[in-house]
Amino acid sequence: MADLAVGGRVAGQGQGQSEEGFEPEVVGFLCNWCSYAGADLAGTSRLAYPTNLRVIRVMCSGRVDPEIMLEPFLDGADGVMVLGCHPGDCHYLSGNYQAEQRVRTIWMVLDHLGIDRERLYLDWVSAAEGARFADMVSEFVARVRTLGPAGGGPASREGLSRGEFAFRAEVARRVAGGERFRWLVGRNKALSEEGNVYGEKVSPHKAAALMQSVIADECVRAAIEVLAGEAPVSVRDIASRLGISAQLVLEQAAYLKRRGLIELYDVSGRSPRYVRAGARA
Amino acid sequence: MQASCAQPRMGVYVCHCGLNIAGVVDVEAVRDSARALEGVVVARDNKYTCSEVGQKTIADDIRDLGLDRVVIASCSPRLHEKTFRGVLEKCGMNPFLLEMANIREQCSWVHSGDSAAATEKAKALVRSAVARARLLSPLSRSEGRVVPKVMVVGGGVAGISAALYLGNMGIKTYLVEREPSIGGHMAMLDKTFPTLDCSLCILSPKMVEVAENENIQVLSYSEVEKVEGQVGDFRVQVRRRARYVDEAKCVGCGDCAAKCPVRVPDEFNRNMGERKAIYIPFPQAIPPAYAIDAEHCRYLTQGKCRVCEKVCERGAVVFDQTDRVETVEVGAIVVATGFRPYDASKKPQYGYGRYPNVITSLDFERIICADGPTHGKLKRPGDQATPGRIAFIQCVGSRDEHGHDGAGAYCSRVCCMITAKQAFMVKEKHPDSEVYVYYTDMRTAGKGFEEFYQRGRGEGIVFVRGKPGEVREEEGGSLRITSEDADSGCILDLSFDMVVLAVGLTPPEGLVDLAQRLNLSRSADGFLMEGHPKLRPFETSIDGIYLAGCVQFPKDIPDSVAQAGGAAAVAAATCSRQKIEMDPLGPVIDEDLCIGCRLCEMLCPYGAIKVEKTDRGYKARSIEVACKGCGVCGASCSARAITMKHYSNDQIVAQTRALLEVS
Repeated sequence: MADLAVGGRVAGQGQGQSEEGFEPEVVGFLCNWCSYAGADLAGTSRLAYPTNLRVIRVMCSGRVDPEIMLEPFLDGADGVMVLGCHPGDCHYLSGNYQAEQRVRTIWMVLDHLGIDRERLYLDWVSAAEGARFADMVSEFVARVRTLGPAGGGPASREGLSRGEFAFRAEVARRVAGGERFRWLVGRNKALSEEGNVYGEKVSPHKAAALMQSVIADECVRAAIEVLAGEAPVSVRDIASRLGISAQLVLEQAAYLKRRGLIELYDVSGRSPRYVRAGARA
Repeated sequence: MQASCAQPRMGVYVCHCGLNIAGVVDVEAVRDSARALEGVVVARDNKYTCSEVGQKTIADDIRDLGLDRVVIASCSPRLHEKTFRGVLEKCGMNPFLLEMANIREQCSWVHSGDSAAATEKAKALVRSAVARARLLSPLSRSEGRVVPKVMVVGGGVAGISAALYLGNMGIKTYLVEREPSIGGHMAMLDKTFPTLDCSLCILSPKMVEVAENENIQVLSYSEVEKVEGQVGDFRVQVRRRARYVDEAKCVGCGDCAAKCPVRVPDEFNRNMGERKAIYIPFPQAIPPAYAIDAEHCRYLTQGKCRVCEKVCERGAVVFDQTDRVETVEVGAIVVATGFRPYDASKKPQYGYGRYPNVITSLDFERIICADGPTHGKLKRPGDQATPGRIAFIQCVGSRDEHGHDGAGAYCSRVCCMITAKQAFMVKEKHPDSEVYVYYTDMRTAGKGFEEFYQRGRGEGIVFVRGKPGEVREEEGGSLRITSEDADSGCILDLSFDMVVLAVGLTPPEGLVDLAQRLNLSRSADGFLMEGHPKLRPFETSIDGIYLAGCVQFPKDIPDSVAQAGGAAAVAAATCSRQKIEMDPLGPVIDEDLCIGCRLCEMLCPYGAIKVEKTDRGYKARSIEVACKGCGVCGASCSARAITMKHYSNDQIVAQTRALLEVS
């Protein structure tokens, strides 16, 4: 299946700021025990870094829900940092491994949706690494600067308009909130190390392929839900918006209809139109 | 005070922190922007919010204006969250209705070059804190029990001192030591600076006191394997290695060792002498019991011998002993695992390990000690000749700015004085000998230190400012050092009979593992990190775990003992509490949404969530006492049925949105 990005790429609408005038908005999720303490140490040591980063303190990087990692992109962030304790040093033993699983999987979703994965950054900072933290923030802000504003049209790496970026970020967030996605992320490590319910170990390669196919389906489903949530939309229109075949859209629409998430609105020409369940007046 | 009523009444307090914040951030502008936020009843700026006046202002507002949320924009919550929660509690408010915005460590202190941008950032951080505060709910803390016992890990002078302080306070204390005897490095030293006290003469009475104190139980030849629980209620698994000698029966007569046929290099004497496979590390050992070194024992490796068993009249040798793991419950833990001397062979330019007459400062202690391999006669290892010309090289493994070869960038603090002492002792035993000290800086900060150093200078010890590049061995085992004397600018090319490397102190063996087991942070230098570099020197980031001695950073004996006293005091304070209140950060499970998939159960690192069969199918249940509040369950739940108390998705999303709002 073609990545959504290919068909969906929309030319910029001239909204993007020029690169020099662009100040990236960066949100950081920092764990209380290591990375937040490291950031505090950067302060105590008076190590300057760009003002672009704004921090939200959480107890553990493992607390950062995949939906929450994507939320800032819906609100105008150009980059997101998730920082935890070094592997093996997690205050809660293994939360940072979960954070890593989530970020790696979200990167696959972002790749699929044509959003540059570099906008979501994951790293480890210990409570002693004030200087490392300050350097990391400086480098990430510089990196986001070269990516351009999220949804900045031609001024951005992805070339997506603000509206298109927001649409894709919303699709990504819905995927990250989905049951299949969350189950696979949570089980990913165990699947390759302990095996599935039948005790069969799944090779990392196979697990990635499985994840890839789940992401492909989930992205289409989420996109249909988003589009049908606004107003009745035809299969043909969805297909052309996503740059995929009408057949693929119809398959996933049928699934969503079975689950009672969307309903048939009417048939326009030869293409059925769907709307969010319960939205029909 | 109802917190969930329609519109919360919030008070915002923006701190100047003297000029720490106000010198960069326009505090008044931040205050005014906060005043305009929805639900904010009052916004003030204070010179020092944490001061009594600052706290009183908040308390007055809570009472007079009926505030039900408090937002404080000041320093890191890691510093003062406790203080301000206390203010709320005193006013009868739920302490969890407080939120802080960190505008000092994460704003003014790192953005001093750009006041305008720092002010905008501070406004955003306050907006975010207010958005979160709006969604906070009152929470009640759960209570945990307190086991009034302490474990001290490490039986050097710091651990011994901590155990004695605790034992004398009447607190049951377990002293865990990896080696067969307590004593640590101090037991290996000949004399101590600057008073030249005999090291073991002052340590050994303390060791005996440990053995005799009925509140102290020594767990020698043992290591901490696993730690569970939290402050007040730790469960520590201790691996008690098989000693093959019954401690209770052994009287330390030594008949076994006399007959043991296996000779092994003696590590207590830095491998310069030999011991037997059944041995006691040194005569004053506590417990005063022999141990069998399983790696070398002929019976345990080859299946025959058992001579020691035959000669022991008391039947103390027990070959069927095995390692066993004991679980010990304690309320607090003091970590005092000391240091490891820098491995000088990592600096091949000095030839340690290759040239027999190059030794380290610790080797020197054993050579000069009456109990050592030469019975206190100053002899060099190569040929047992008495060295007439001795050089000391300072800072081997310390003050290495690049940290090459496992060396520290830090100053090890004690090596200057150790060398001053050793040079003095050489002069004392052999006044005619020539002693040179190659140093970077002589650091003699301590009571009586400078005076002692000057006394050494008066004895004719030559101090050369310079760090030799290498030591070359010459015929006959003498050693040549070519170095610049930075004070005179001359090149000195001298030959010595023996060279002593003043090795630095590095983190002890196995500290990485121990830190992970205890969940402690290490500083950049590799030692354990204290709770606060100035004000919490005994504490760690984990409540109930405290530090004593060199495991925190190199220090001399009196400083180690002083820190041990402090650690013992805080551990005793923990043990004297009736109960421990625990922050309620656990999950709330919506059973209507839970599908019983077990993901949370599988991912919880503490077994604090279990799926149980109910009349509505399988549902997850939280086990509050085991939960530490990390939030992995909530962030992973496939059905999004789990909400974390105090860090809910709604709260985090509100914070994010407020951060990114255009002001």
